[in-house]
Amino acid sequence: MLATIFKDIAVLTALSGLLAVILVLAERIFNNYGQCKIGINGKREIEVKGGNNLLASLGEKQIFLPSACGGRGSCGACKCKVTQGGGPLLPTEKPFLSQAELADGIRLSCQVKVKSDLAIQIPDSIFNIRKFAATVAEIVDYTYDIKGITFKLISGETVDFKAGQYVQLLTEPYAKMKQRVSRAYSISSKPEDRDSLQLIIRLVPEGICTTWVHNYLKVGDKVSFTGPYGDFYLRDTQADIFFVAGGSGKAPIKSMLEHLQVVGTTRRMSYFFGARGLRDLYLTEEMFSFEKVFSDFSYIPVLSHAAPEDNWTGRTGYVMPYFQERLRDPANSEAYLCGSPGMIDAVIKGLTALGVPKDKIYFDSFG
Amino acid sequence: MQRMQPGALTLNGFLGSDTRPLNEIIDDDAKVLARLHYSQEDVAARMEYFFRISWETFLGDELVDGKYEVQTDVFRGKLPCPYGHVGLYRKAITSVTNSTNGISVIWTPLNIHMIRDHGFFEGKGSAFRLEPDILVRAIFE
Repeated sequence: MLATIFKDIAVLTALSGLLAVILVLAERIFNNYGQCKIGINGKREIEVKGGNNLLASLGEKQIFLPSACGGRGSCGACKCKVTQGGGPLLPTEKPFLSQAELADGIRLSCQVKVKSDLAIQIPDSIFNIRKFAATVAEIVDYTYDIKGITFKLISGETVDFKAGQYVQLLTEPYAKMKQRVSRAYSISSKPEDRDSLQLIIRLVPEGICTTWVHNYLKVGDKVSFTGPYGDFYLRDTQADIFFVAGGSGKAPIKSMLEHLQVVGTTRRMSYFFGARGLRDLYLTEEMFSFEKVFSDFSYIPVLSHAAPEDNWTGRTGYVMPYFQERLRDPANSEAYLCGSPGMIDAVIKGLTALGVPKDKIYFDSFG
Repeated sequence: MQRMQPGALTLNGFLGSDTRPLNEIIDDDAKVLARLHYSQEDVAARMEYFFRISWETFLGDELVDGKYEVQTDVFRGKLPCPYGHVGLYRKAITSVTNSTNGISVIWTPLNIHMIRDHGFFEGKGSAFRLEPDILVRAIFE
C-alpha cells in the first residue's frame, strides 16, 4: 500500500516536472519575439528584447515615461504616441484615452507589448528624465502630517530640473509591503542645488509611499527616483506673480522662490497660503523672510478655521478676497497654483474675474 | 482577492481583520441595508451629494441642510478599484458629522464607488470600513 502511494507520488512529480518543462519551452518558442527596434521621434532607434511592455522596454534603455502605478495599467500616466506597430488598442487602455488621443494614436505604454518593430513619438523633455540613486540626508517635521526630506545624490551625480517640476519616488519593500510603488512629489529645493533635492511629503491615510516616508525612512537610507517631470514650472517673464498653494502644495512654490532668490528678480510677487488652522502653517519664517529678500514680495497666510487658542490675528476665510490687495496690472500677471482641483477651479475663477488671462494661470493639480 | 490585500493598493488593504469570505461580507451588509429600507444606490447617492458640495468649498467646513458638517480633504493621486476594472478614484477623505445625533463618518470617493457598484462597505477592521447602520444614521437622519 505504501509502495503504491510512493509510486503515485513519483508519477505525479514526474508529470508536474514534464509539464513545467513543456511550459518553459512553449514560453521560449511562442513568446520569443527576438530583438525589436523602436524608432523614437524619427531621430533615434533603440533595440530591445521583444516580449516586454513598451514602458519597461524603454525603461531598460534609460528612457523613463511617467508612471505612478509601476506599469500596472491603473494610472494612465505613461501615454505615448505610437505611429507604427504596437498591436491593437486594448480594452484596458480605452478608459484613459480621449477621442482626440485615440485618433492621434496615443497608447498606454504599459499596455503595449513589444512583439515587433515599432515607432513612437515622445516629448523631447522625456530624454531629460533619468533614474537617480540618493541617500536620505535630512528629515524635518514641518507639521503633524508634513515632512521635508532632503536627498543627497550619490557618486557625484547631479539633477537638472526647472523649479516647479516633480520626481517619482520609488519605495523600498517594508513591513508587509513586498512590492515597490512610485509616487509623484514636487521638488521643493532650488534647481541650483544640483547634487541634492528636497521633497515635501504629506502623510496620506493608508498611503503606501507616504507611510514608508513618514514611519520607516531614516537618514542614511538609500532611495531611488526618476525625473524631472512636468510642465508646471516658472516662466521667464516680467509679469507680476500670484502664487496660491496650501499644504504640501507649497513644495513647488518654495522651489520657485528659492530659485528667484538666486537669479534675482524685481517682479511683484504674492504668495497666498490657505490653511485651516495654525497647526497647518509651516516654513512661515522662511516665507516672510523673502519679503526682505525681494523688492516687492508679500507672503499672505490665510486661515479658514483658526481655533480660539490659535490667537490668530492674520487674514481669515479663503484666499480669493485678498487677491485685490496685490493686484496691480491683471493683464500683465501670471499665477502658479498647486493643490486640490477644487481650490484650483475656484482660484482660476477668481483670478480670471479680476482680469488675469486664463492662459497665464499655470497649475499643478492634485487630482 | 489579491488586490484587496495589504500592500496591493493601500497600506492595509480593504478587508481589515475580517475573516469572512468577501461575498459573505457583502451579503451581511446588504441584509442590514434591506432592514433599514435603503439600497446601496440610495446610500451612494447621498454620499456623493455631500462629497460634491464639500468638494467645491475646499478647506472649509460646509454646513449642509442646516445640520450636516461636511469637509473634504484632498491628497495628490488616484487609486484604482480593488475589483480590477478600469477607473481611478481621487484620494480624498470626506468627513460628515450629523449635528442632530452626533454621529461622524468618513469615506473616500472609492468607498462611494464600491458601495454603489459592488455593495462593498469594506471588511470589519479596515481603515475605511463603513458600518451600514451607522452610515445610514449619519447621512439620512
